[in-house]
Amino acid sequence: MSVVLTWIVFLPMLSAGVLGLFRVRHTVLRAGAMLSALLVLALTLLTAVQFDPQAEGMQFVRHLPWIFQYGITYYLGLDALSLVILLVIALLMPLLYLYMWDNPTSGYWYNMLLLQTGVTGAVLSLDLVLFYLFYETMLLPIFIMIGRYGHDWNHAHAMKILLFTVLGSMAMLFAILYLGYAHYSFYGNWSFAWQDLAKLPLDPQTATWLAAGFLLAFAIKIPLLGFHTWMATAYASAPTPALVILSAIMAKLGIYGLWRFGYGIFAQVLHLYEPILLALSLVGMLYYAIHAITQKDLRKMFAYSSGSHLSLIALGVVLANLYAWSGSLYLIATHALASAGIFLMIGLIHQRTDTVQIDGLGGIASVAPRFAFFFTFFALSIVGVPGTGGFVAELLIIIGAFSVHPWLGAATATTMLAAMLFVFWMLQRTLFGAPVPSTVTFADLNRRETVMLAPLALLLVITGMAPSLFTPLFTPQIQAMLLQFVHAAGGAS
Amino acid sequence: MTVNPDAYFAVATLLFSLGILGVISRRNLLVIYLSIELMLNAVNLILATFSRLRPDEGGTMIALFMIGVIAAEAALFLAVIVQIYRKKQTLDSDAFTELAQGKRL
Amino acid sequence: MSSSLPSLIVLLPFLGAGVMGFVYLFVPGGRDLRRFYVAVGVGAPLLAALLGLIVVGELLTLPDSASITSPLYTWVSIGSFDIDVAFVVDRLSAVMLLVVTLVGSLIHIYAVGYMWDDEGFGKFFAYFNFFLGAMLLLVLADNPILLFIGWELVGLASYLLIGFYHRDTANITAANKAFVLNRVGDFGFVSGLGLLFVLQKQPGFDFASIFAGLGGADTAMLSLVGLLLFVGAMGKSAQIPLYVWLPDAMAGPTPVSALIHAATMVTAGVYMVARFAPLYNRIPDVGLFIAGIGAASALLAALFASWQNDIKKILAYSTMSQLGYMFIAVGLGEYSNGIFHLAAHAFFKALLFMGAGAVIVALHHEQDIFKIGGLGRRLPAVRRTMLVATLAITGIPIFAGFFSKDAILAYAFASGHTTLWAMGVAVAFLTAYYMFRLYFVVFVAPGHRSPSSHASQSSSMAPLPRSMIWPLFLLAAGSIFLGFWNLPEAYGGGDWFSHGLHLADHTAHLRSAEEYMLDGLNVLVALLGIAVAYRKFVRPAHPLRPPVHRLAWQRALANTLYIDTVYDRLIVRPLRGLSDGIDRCIDPKIIDGSLRGLVALYRGIALQSARLQNGNLRWYALTFLLGVSGLSLYLLIAIGGAS
Repeated sequence: MSVVLTWIVFLPMLSAGVLGLFRVRHTVLRAGAMLSALLVLALTLLTAVQFDPQAEGMQFVRHLPWIFQYGITYYLGLDALSLVILLVIALLMPLLYLYMWDNPTSGYWYNMLLLQTGVTGAVLSLDLVLFYLFYETMLLPIFIMIGRYGHDWNHAHAMKILLFTVLGSMAMLFAILYLGYAHYSFYGNWSFAWQDLAKLPLDPQTATWLAAGFLLAFAIKIPLLGFHTWMATAYASAPTPALVILSAIMAKLGIYGLWRFGYGIFAQVLHLYEPILLALSLVGMLYYAIHAITQKDLRKMFAYSSGSHLSLIALGVVLANLYAWSGSLYLIATHALASAGIFLMIGLIHQRTDTVQIDGLGGIASVAPRFAFFFTFFALSIVGVPGTGGFVAELLIIIGAFSVHPWLGAATATTMLAAMLFVFWMLQRTLFGAPVPSTVTFADLNRRETVMLAPLALLLVITGMAPSLFTPLFTPQIQAMLLQFVHAAGGAS
Repeated sequence: MTVNPDAYFAVATLLFSLGILGVISRRNLLVIYLSIELMLNAVNLILATFSRLRPDEGGTMIALFMIGVIAAEAALFLAVIVQIYRKKQTLDSDAFTELAQGKRL
Repeated sequence: MSSSLPSLIVLLPFLGAGVMGFVYLFVPGGRDLRRFYVAVGVGAPLLAALLGLIVVGELLTLPDSASITSPLYTWVSIGSFDIDVAFVVDRLSAVMLLVVTLVGSLIHIYAVGYMWDDEGFGKFFAYFNFFLGAMLLLVLADNPILLFIGWELVGLASYLLIGFYHRDTANITAANKAFVLNRVGDFGFVSGLGLLFVLQKQPGFDFASIFAGLGGADTAMLSLVGLLLFVGAMGKSAQIPLYVWLPDAMAGPTPVSALIHAATMVTAGVYMVARFAPLYNRIPDVGLFIAGIGAASALLAALFASWQNDIKKILAYSTMSQLGYMFIAVGLGEYSNGIFHLAAHAFFKALLFMGAGAVIVALHHEQDIFKIGGLGRRLPAVRRTMLVATLAITGIPIFAGFFSKDAILAYAFASGHTTLWAMGVAVAFLTAYYMFRLYFVVFVAPGHRSPSSHASQSSSMAPLPRSMIWPLFLLAAGSIFLGFWNLPEAYGGGDWFSHGLHLADHTAHLRSAEEYMLDGLNVLVALLGIAVAYRKFVRPAHPLRPPVHRLAWQRALANTLYIDTVYDRLIVRPLRGLSDGIDRCIDPKIIDGSLRGLVALYRGIALQSARLQNGNLRWYALTFLLGVSGLSLYLLIAIGGAS
């Protein structure tokens, strides 16, 4: 039993409560938020250091009864999968606060604090009801931030993302409740703990339907092809910090859900969905990339870019072998870093020029070389140039696909081409050429902005040059999860 | 004096049908009110008849009680009708469709 | 044998690039520290070259098949995907190491003069060192994954350097084109690697273990691997059909063209095939395909080169053409000849580009040869060295190109591939023609030209710094003497280079008499080409004018067969159209549309049911009555039926 995860989850919410109670000034508020984010980062790093990659199962578990009658528990725990996402969240938050540093709207800050609790809670919950609770909690601040502080049709777009995700969540909630009830009817007591539900002897047909509920929720969150029309509009309207969270973290939670609950609970029926998931993610990868080519809005362009990469991650998860899973997990982290970088920089462009329309930009490289350097760097990391972490991840997924089937491998390797389709043309029109009126006075990165971007760039380089520093953290557990999955899937058929 | 109870039922049914016909076909609120009263009285008649057919005075009691209630209700009803009339200067029931859903959407 | 020197060689330029990049971006006033950039930017390659010489010296004391390895750390290790960052210097990579560092250093020195007045001086050297590091990573890698990393990074460096003058969007378009086409090749390459990894039954994915494990693999699958890897080479080495980026890549500064797009990066494909020699030896059909592509590219590029007017584009097509020769060699299994031509080509083509760069600088960036003209007297040093290089590429005896090219053609003939040989000879003729066309028009033909041309105003000639001149002489020396390193037995030599390389060559013996005849024929053909060029451009029947193309086929060749347009129509526009279609139709109409359809259905039902609540009292009463009546009737029948 360990309380560290509880602190990690609730510290931001607690800070929001305390700061809100005293209605503090902007300067205190931002210092408090930053302090809480840094504390969480420190705790997370501490956890990562103490984390034992060789041990099986969950670590730092906190399991307390909560609602006795229905077996709902307060159940937090951490394994390699959640650790990676947790690290990403903890790392990104201080950088986002750095981005927001001069923003005096206090509602913004409170929402971010709540958002952090929501996303970390969702990653660490092992009780499905608790998970659902956090999964919905994180949606609210996003809804408010898009609706309240967003731009360009923000109300309509906030409503769109809300309706889409709630639709998925409802299906999932129904499945969760049914699972708990099934546990009751099989064993005489209620339980929503993940590992209890995984052992339920459901008949295949029921399991198939319940899996559909979960998959719908995650497919919308990721979003997979066909469930994605909320994405570009929400990305285009969201204020930058919310946008970073959306792309770097929340979308990853869809993948996480698919991985933990899809593969954890429904191992024996998931093979029914595999062809669909495979097709959706493969086609989606290229579909989004092609769609991005002619986007004029930078945010929308990288929304589709993000979709393309998330499809690739989903593809890796569906491939279900050691290389692909390692690659997917690695890509979760590295894509979060790269997309956070690119979206923050798009935010900076917006602050400086009041536009993110590509047609209104150009020639930034001539006036702001540091900016151009970082922007190119992040864009290239999204393309997956070697030396950045994305390359390692993509390579692993490609290798994983080849171990399944050569054709699948070749199809997956098209990811090499996907991002390239739009990134270079975009760079050409934003950074290069002669400066246009809106960029003539484009200020180069100042110190705060450099400090904000440098950790992301540095981490991307390190993850690209020495992945062996990071992979041992998760490969043993991935292997164990894989064995478990294969065992469970094989046991049913 | 004993009359065949079927006659009572026939009268009650007749009254009730007349009431319904009134409610459906007439537009004047006062007439609708009268029609409702007609139906109530039809029910009262049936209650009294059954009470007499069986050795049970409960039905008569309820019928008597209802006459009281109807009297009270009449006062209320008439007051409402007066209020309604003041609002629109009409007693046509078709004129009062403020609570409709279908038209506005 | 193990040594840390190879790692150091690779790291040095990267380190230099990092330091210079940091100073350029973050140190206030760092952009003008030209001497610092010279010290670091030229120092790193020179040091690398020195260390390279030491390592190669060490290697030569070892037996032929030995190699010096330099493991640095484990890059990634997941399952059997165990990749080390480790470098290896064997005979093959030693040659590449020397070519890259020596020619690279000379071009770095040359670039000091060439770029001195550019405000992006520091940035240029940072990129340039970065490229050198990536190239060394590529050639010294001890496993294909590391090679691929270097392979991609040189492409990135090439992208950055082609787009160096980024204010002009045309340059960026060229850079994009180069990177995108390279990436298309890399897609093939990485697929090949993935497939190879899956075929690999033994643990370990370094070259040695891969080649050891080839025995049991299915030949059809291996052929596929070989083909896919070669797709990567098509992109990197600008062969049909992925070559169109190379001429556009000339948008970069001339030292870039010399180093990246002539001497080193574009030859990576040849090196890769030679590196995978044990693989390609098992799949001769694919080898033949490679040779065929090489020959076709050589011929096509030579044709294009003969119709170009831009001095750098002529040289670019010439590079593509020479690369075609190398692919003929490695495709047919004569790897050492291919590598030898690669080395010789690195010297004379770098020299040609640097000479061209000198001309361009002297004339304030005029690149049309018909507007340059008659420079021989004004730039004697450049003229002389250019002549050496031109003779070398033409294949005139004693110059390097003679030995290296003729070895390839002789082998092609001896092994019975007469079609390839004939194509090679035709290319030799065209090479002589277009190179001397270039030489004659630029240096020899009398100064004439329209009044607008720069050459008529000698006062406007920019002086050339010394650092741009003396590297030319060193390279010229290389272009003259390098050939003797691989003097064939027919001429009393011992093919020292080929034997020393220790590659799994195919051999086909040719009698000395036959070899004399073939070589004689080549020289004759070359002289014929020179004669034609001389007739047309030095002693022209009419005053020299830029050629006007009247016939359709002439125009087509001058426009390089409209390949760019074809690519644009077939690939670029459909993709954009598709993207537009998705944006306008599929997403909003089909996906959102079907969702909206659901919403409309739901709303419709709600509207229809809301109509029941019309506020009409009598209507309510009627429905009420009907409902009650219906219910009563039902009850009546149901109960009546029961009793």
